Amino acid sequence: MSDLQKKWAKAKFNAMPEFNELDEDRESASGGAGAGGLSRLEQDDDSSSSASSVSSTGTIIPSPGRALFARPHGFAGRSLDPIPWTTYFERELFLKPDDDDEQNGGDEKVTSHHAYLTSPVGKGPLFVAHHGAGSSGLSFAVLSAEIRKRLPSAGILSPDARGHGSTTITTITRSQGEGEAESTTGEAKETAPSKQKPTVDLRLSTLSADLYRVIQLTKTAMKWPSLPPIILVGHSLGGAVVTDLARSGRLSTTTAAPGTTAPLLGYAVLDVVEGSAMDALQSMQTYLSTRPTGFATLRDAIDWHVRSRTIRNAVSARTSVPALLVDQDKDKEKEKEEGEEVEADDNDKKKTSSSSRPWKWRTDLAATQPFWEDWFVGLSKKFLEAKGGKLLLLAGTDRLDTELTIGQMQGKYALQVFPEAGHFIHEDLPEKTANVLVDFYRRNDRGALVLPPKVSELLAQGKRI
Amino acid sequence: MSDLDKAIAQLRACRPIPEAQVRELCHKARELLVEEGNVVTVTAPVTICGDIHGQFHDLMELFRVGGDVPDTNYLFMGDFVDRGFYSLESFLLLLCLKVRYPDRMTLIRGNHESRQITTVYGFYDECLRKYGSANVWRYCCDVFDYLALGAIVLGASNTLSPGSGPSASGPTMTETRVDADETEIEVCNADGQVISTFRRQEQTSGRMRGGGGRSPARPTASNGIGSATDSSGANNGLTGAAPNKSGPPGSGASGSSGGSIGNPAGAVLCVHGGLSPLIDMVDKIRLLDRKQEVPHEGAMCDLLWSDPDEIDGWGLSPRGAGFLFGADIVKVFNHRNDLSLIARAHQLVMEGFKEMFDASIVTVWSAPNYCYRCGNVAALLELSEDDSGLGIFSRSNGDVGRSDGGQGGQQQQQQHQHGGQGGGGQGGGGGPQRGVLMENDLMAPRSGPARRYRVFQAAPQDSRGMPAKKPVADYFL
Repeated sequence: MSDLQKKWAKAKFNAMPEFNELDEDRESASGGAGAGGLSRLEQDDDSSSSASSVSSTGTIIPSPGRALFARPHGFAGRSLDPIPWTTYFERELFLKPDDDDEQNGGDEKVTSHHAYLTSPVGKGPLFVAHHGAGSSGLSFAVLSAEIRKRLPSAGILSPDARGHGSTTITTITRSQGEGEAESTTGEAKETAPSKQKPTVDLRLSTLSADLYRVIQLTKTAMKWPSLPPIILVGHSLGGAVVTDLARSGRLSTTTAAPGTTAPLLGYAVLDVVEGSAMDALQSMQTYLSTRPTGFATLRDAIDWHVRSRTIRNAVSARTSVPALLVDQDKDKEKEKEEGEEVEADDNDKKKTSSSSRPWKWRTDLAATQPFWEDWFVGLSKKFLEAKGGKLLLLAGTDRLDTELTIGQMQGKYALQVFPEAGHFIHEDLPEKTANVLVDFYRRNDRGALVLPPKVSELLAQGKRI
Repeated sequence: MSDLDKAIAQLRACRPIPEAQVRELCHKARELLVEEGNVVTVTAPVTICGDIHGQFHDLMELFRVGGDVPDTNYLFMGDFVDRGFYSLESFLLLLCLKVRYPDRMTLIRGNHESRQITTVYGFYDECLRKYGSANVWRYCCDVFDYLALGAIVLGASNTLSPGSGPSASGPTMTETRVDADETEIEVCNADGQVISTFRRQEQTSGRMRGGGGRSPARPTASNGIGSATDSSGANNGLTGAAPNKSGPPGSGASGSSGGSIGNPAGAVLCVHGGLSPLIDMVDKIRLLDRKQEVPHEGAMCDLLWSDPDEIDGWGLSPRGAGFLFGADIVKVFNHRNDLSLIARAHQLVMEGFKEMFDASIVTVWSAPNYCYRCGNVAALLELSEDDSGLGIFSRSNGDVGRSDGGQGGQQQQQQHQHGGQGGGGQGGGGGPQRGVLMENDLMAPRSGPARRYRVFQAAPQDSRGMPAKKPVADYFL
């Protein structure tokens, strides 16, 4: 989880909430000045109301079991109850490559990629979102609903990276039945992440290859005849991953044949820049050491994320935080099938556990340090070089490094800054982020783009110009 | 008006003026700007500058290099604010000078002169920091809405005026000179010493195709400039000059007096960003309602956001606003509007300026070491006055004499709306009438005005007033 004790650095922005309407946000630009600020305040404080609006999008098929979790939104106080993923996504996928050959051969490893998916409708685009280190695919849950509000035909694919969420790597070759994959809805069960941590390969090239594989496997699993047009969205480490994938050219950007849409329309990077990320790395261990090592309950964990302003949107925190943690007691007890009930019990503090803080971080971020530099070195260059529309969304202009400052002033990519957001831009400001992403898609949607005719063509036709 | 002069003196010392004075200044500026058309007509001589971005000390350096204000006419192509630490002082100084010397100072709007952009990129924060409230920011934004969208420079000469740099007539300047009449481009360093000159290419009949004739000279030109400025701090431009380069033209009595008449150079259009697919005639710019926040799309947005690029026709701008436009677009536009050159800013160019498309468009960038770290040099573009008396003609679409309170301009505009309906660019006045454009025409760009670029580097920075270095972003992963 990334950090963000930005509450200090950003204190000045809190002092003037009335001006946040001036982001590059079309809605607020056309609206009155006061209205924009007001709406943000509502969004921050009145989380229950946005929750209800989210659940009224009509695209959700909650499973019966999960409905138990939905609490009435009646009371005004902040609810800290977890919100299940089914509120936001159509389905989850457990994707296993047919021939999973890990480069570092030896013992066979099977990676089961877990991803949340809402399918695109018709010719709608697919937003492929990659979360940051320590986060999970559910980081984009609220954003996905906001995107679909604005662009109902859009699909969202949000995988868990290896070592994160419910993506698992097992060293023993074993075949899991398809039935199991589909009936399982929650926690990763096979392996406790902690056992694997030292061996999880989190090199950028691996993550980028994983993402590509997940896209292809999803296409196969969903029986899509071809890939829909894709917008890559990456937050933090995910930004480096999508940039690497875009730069690799594996998702072609050129139209193969006239009339067909290019798979990769563009890529959006959320709050990561090579220069400032590298600078931040040295203080990262210090930051990580200030985090609680565990939580008594999921509600405590959600509460901590909201209170520390790591995630400034309670609804999003309620959705994304549960996937960041794993109940170690539960692992010990091996109560796999009762996972959800345990969760529920846990919320009610009925649990008699050996440790007072059984909910531990699923991903040991400190252990990923050997990969940190590899993730970010060369990011700015790759970002500028890759083909396709480029969008950079930042929580502050001071994050730009020299290379991207020059690039921006030469007009090589689009930059959007949301000073009022924390590092988790898409969780803090899902509406605004969705606005920008949907605009970004519309602008780069080649099917819809109509440019004025070329002069040479007009001349060739003998027209007067 | 001594208050104004006092304010100017105070701002020149990089000290903000009181809020009440800002309010009054902005009010006066608005009264002045509202009378200007969307496209201001400016007559040469004029010095054209690109982005400033709140780099106050570099703006002072610009005035030192280009000449001080009442003595030199300036045209600033927008982006006065944001990014640098002295947006407030920079913009207010320019505004004061505009109010004090309305006919010697032209300010047009850049994409950063917008509420939305300034809240994110620094100007808003700076106002809040320096005044404790957003009032000054509001006053300034109200002025932004009244800034013109473009300018047309008339009467620029085909020949350069004598160099006016401090050391231009120094004893070292004894090399063989190319006759000033033949100099098309001259590049000077900050001390007025000529780094390089480029002779006007012979106009051989009308059929120079793109690849031949003029264009090969261009890349060489800009390369030479880049290396000269890189290698030489200041002084070795001369010693390193190849035989074909010359000393400053007109250091004798020649310059303008001996200038051959030739064709008066066509007009120069100045705009912050570039062209718009919705604008095929300069006059269409005049029809826009500019007094608003910069919109997200449409002609006004494009003028402030677009970029030229090596493409054919129009393209999608990666910026997320405006368009990319290619050489063909520029050449057709210039031909149709009887322009010899488009001067624009908006894009950082490491060498300070960059001519493209057979010198039909130039980017001028005036913020050296942008953001205090990009390592670029800056430039300004001087167009000298055509003394032949043929240079200035009242254009059908012009509003010459804007200082008469805009009466003339308004009339012209009305007249023009009329003409516009009549079809194409056949307004009244003496404007050349051009209808069909043949392919060959495209390839024979009008010979541009003589251009002198003064390249300068960042001034020493005053650390006072810079906000404390922000803590390293504490995010990651």
